Formats: sequence, structure tokens, C-alpha cells
Amino acid sequence: MSNTLPLTELFASSKGATYQCDTTNRIIIQFGEARVSLRISDFLTFKKRVDSVDIHTMIFNTDDAYDVEIIDAPRTGHLFVLSLCDLIALRDLLAGTRFVLDLNTLLNERIYSSLVY
Amino acid sequence: MKDLVRMRTSLKEEIERILNEQIKMEAHSSAIYLSMAAWCDRNGFDFSAGYFYKQSNEERNHMLKLFNYVSDMGGHAISPEVTNVPQEFDGFRDVFELALQQEIAVSNAINRIVGQARQLNDFATDQFMQWFVKEQIEEEYVARRAVELFDVIGEEGVGRYMIDKAIPKITYGDVEAQ
Repeated sequence: MSNTLPLTELFASSKGATYQCDTTNRIIIQFGEARVSLRISDFLTFKKRVDSVDIHTMIFNTDDAYDVEIIDAPRTGHLFVLSLCDLIALRDLLAGTRFVLDLNTLLNERIYSSLVY
Repeated sequence: MKDLVRMRTSLKEEIERILNEQIKMEAHSSAIYLSMAAWCDRNGFDFSAGYFYKQSNEERNHMLKLFNYVSDMGGHAISPEVTNVPQEFDGFRDVFELALQQEIAVSNAINRIVGQARQLNDFATDQFMQWFVKEQIEEEYVARRAVELFDVIGEEGVGRYMIDKAIPKITYGDVEAQ
């Protein structure tokens, strides 16, 4: 991906990837054609929004209104319009990202902290 | 790689979640006490109404204390939605029994937070919650004593009037004042 700022890949799936930018302290989500850059607090809010969608209702409700879910990425001006498959893929991507962020916290806590003076 | 999650907040997600649940519980308690105050006012128990107004304020202050803590630690404090507040009660005694049950529920919730904080080595939250642990000793005592007055004084004759007058005088740890 083209970007002048150094990015660290956090997680990748067949539908997209996420990166961390240590210069801007932001998480970049590349999902399909969409690319958004979020502060960590906004990333966590966005993940909560994606996780809170009732997938069961989307599957079993035949009304057209339940075919897609529109989710706003905080303070980016971007709306994700997601089909059921997109939603599951995005959840998977964000869950993987969250896992890596937590793993990084754990590594910082247990290993790297002892190196900071 | 920078630890962005830790840079944002020292609160672990689980702790932030249960603290927000507690914020909601305190807000709910405050609303219930306000409803009890109104019920007492409607039914002529003026002193008890004053007692419940005071309790309602206290619960709101507890909520704010928790709210400020979550915010100060870099967490996301959620302004709670308060629903299902009972507006009618079966009787004078019933109001106080419900108040005692509410305090017991709050104590249990606080104990769970302390337990969780210790499990996750969150000593700051553990230390912060100790104020609430002590506070609940007093809150439960006062609520239990209020229910006890119904047995000690009795509800017959001028009993309810006497109980109503005695309610605001209940204090913890100062028998002389009662």
C-alpha cells in the first residue's frame, strides 16, 4: 500500500488489512475499497458498533431494510455500507486487530517495560 | 511498535465495562430513591421523604465519583440511561425493605469490581473502590436500621408517625445521636 508514513501491519484477511502508524498514533483500516484512519479510542468505538449489530436478525428478517447495515466510522466522514458477508469479514478483521493490539500491550507490559529507564 | 491501547488509558476493557455498569447502577439507585421520596411525600411521610431526597443525592454523587474516575484514567465514561424506575410501592415498610435490598445489591456489585480489579492486577481501581467498600458499610447499616425501626416501634397507632420522625436521625457509629 502506498503511504509515506511508516506503517506496521497489524492484521490481514482476504477482505482487508489493518495497520498502525506510530507517527500519527492512528489505526488504518483498509477494507475493500474503503480506507480510514482512526484514533485508538475511535477504533474501539467503531469495533463496538460493528460488534453490536444483530447478525441473527439480518439473517432471518426478510425485510429489505435488513439486507445491509450502515455503520459510521467516527470522525472520518466515512460510512461503511455492509452486507451480511461484509459485516462478518469486517468483524473478523477488527477482532484480529484487537487481538494484536492486546498482544502488543502484553508484550510491552511484560517485556519491553523493563527496558524503559 | 507503540502500545496505543495503554497510551489511551490505564483501564483494562473489562474494568472500564464494569465501572460503567456501576455508574448505571448508582444512577438507577438515585432515581429509585427519588421515586421513594415522592411516594413518601404523597403519603404524608415528610421526614422519610427528606431522608430519601438526601439518599438520592448521595447516590448521584457516587455515580459522579465513578464517572470522573473513568474519565480521569482515560476511559470512556458512559452517561447512563435510566429506565424501569418503580413509581408505586405497596406500603411504608415496603419502601424501606426495597431500599435495603438496593443497598445490598450495590454492595455485591462493588465487591465484584474489587475482586475483578485484584484479579487483573489493577491496584489503582482496587484502591479507588475501597472508599465505596467503606461507604457501603454505612449505607447498609442505615438502610437495615430503618427496617428494624418498624419492628422496634411497631406500625400500630402512632407507630408510623414515630417511625417517620425517627428515620432522619439514623446515623452510623454514633448511638448518642439517635
